[in-house]
Amino acid sequence: MVIGRRQFLGYAATALTVALRTDGSGSEPSVVSVLDLKEHCSLRESLAGYERASAGCVTRRPLLIVPAALALPAAATGAMANCLRRGGTVLLESGAGYAAESDCRVHREALRNRLQVRVAAARFKSRRVPYVDYAWPSPTKIRDFSRVVPLAEHQSGEIIAWADGFPVALKRRIGSGTLIYVGSPLGPALWAGDTEARQWLSRLFSL
Amino acid sequence: MKKSIGDNMIPKDWGFERGLELVKKAGFDGIELWLGDVPWFQMTTTDAQVRDLRRKIDNAGLVVSNVSTGLHWAAPLSARDPAVRAQAAHIVERQIETAVLLGTDAILVVAGLVTEEVPYNEVYQRCVEALRPLGDKAARAGVKIGCENCNSEQRFLISPREFAQFLTDVNNAAVGIHLDVGNIHDTGFAEQWIEIHGPRITRIHLKDVLKHRGRSGDQSVYTNLFLGDNNWPAIRAAMTKVGYDGWLIAEMEARYRYAPDQQFYDTSQAMDRLISGRL
Repeated sequence: MVIGRRQFLGYAATALTVALRTDGSGSEPSVVSVLDLKEHCSLRESLAGYERASAGCVTRRPLLIVPAALALPAAATGAMANCLRRGGTVLLESGAGYAAESDCRVHREALRNRLQVRVAAARFKSRRVPYVDYAWPSPTKIRDFSRVVPLAEHQSGEIIAWADGFPVALKRRIGSGTLIYVGSPLGPALWAGDTEARQWLSRLFSL
Repeated sequence: MKKSIGDNMIPKDWGFERGLELVKKAGFDGIELWLGDVPWFQMTTTDAQVRDLRRKIDNAGLVVSNVSTGLHWAAPLSARDPAVRAQAAHIVERQIETAVLLGTDAILVVAGLVTEEVPYNEVYQRCVEALRPLGDKAARAGVKIGCENCNSEQRFLISPREFAQFLTDVNNAAVGIHLDVGNIHDTGFAEQWIEIHGPRITRIHLKDVLKHRGRSGDQSVYTNLFLGDNNWPAIRAAMTKVGYDGWLIAEMEARYRYAPDQQFYDTSQAMDRLISGRL
């Protein structure tokens, strides 16, 4: 039986809420956590999309989703580090596509300094083909979100998605865990019921 | 039923007060104010200035039928950019505020815009979620939000049943439909829209439509009452059937090239014929 519950991690003082879902079997819990960055989450519909899509879902290893992130407060990076240490996966979605330049700068610095992920400036995606091409965890095309925050060149990790020929998502092993960065928001597509986005996430859950 | 016409129909060089005189003289009972479309009624117009507009309308022997806006074409509630959505919501809130100041209980909103960039499913979901809290604000102010059926132009909620489902999903008694009988083009029949929406209709926009023309080039698909393809006896009968006894608001896209004031008289008389059922 799947039991959903919402609880605060040790970061309650920072008002970061994390939704935890466990299998309730008494064995090591398989969790899907969606981290609400509050004012540092730029797209509330992205948060809602991930929450809806992950409701009742379980994973073999811990999975922490950070939707539409701008700045990364210490509490958030602490939660991410904790997840990675436990061999889990962190899915970090950029929320800087529509952000003001000052917020974009903070975003870029946070990714570079705390996660060693270097990203370029947000850019409009061409309207010629309105999709982002994902190669992993399964090849699929998912609706873009008009603007993307592409990855800078030459960095470790495996590129897993492209838009207009630019790399926009990567996965990287960090210790026993895996960091996934996506520079084109998936949450709004999940929120709007996009089939391919849901399948992509389900595939991630099943790994 | 009462007759109204948009203040955006007032010839550009006439000014508001002279326009009000024309509206009254042509036999209308009220005027529809278009926020953002006319120089006298902008987002920057203060409450005091809005009250002054009302005083002028009162002095002309008219009332305000509703507050409309075309601003949502540029700033839709369905935009991906949260800043644009916030601006769109702010426009609706200002419409509600000014409706109260102007003594009317209805506003017109173009709820969403499907584009090549922003797909249908996103637009639908965003509009539903935006209209719920806005409906609550409208209800507190005693105002109803009428989402206009701009079918072809919005590429959204093309059929009457889908529009009805949308309103059901919004699930707020303060949110209904501002039904435009000209906007249905060749995708359906206005009388069927009236039948399906009945008590959810907040206001009715009147214009005729040339169904064969379509939206091609710079030719308007719209025309004056009784010149196009709408089935006016059926439309009138449908209003009776559902008990609609509210405002009828003329919205002519194509303006008279000469003697623009004549369009007001002609439209008013045509509306009288429609209301009387002598068709």
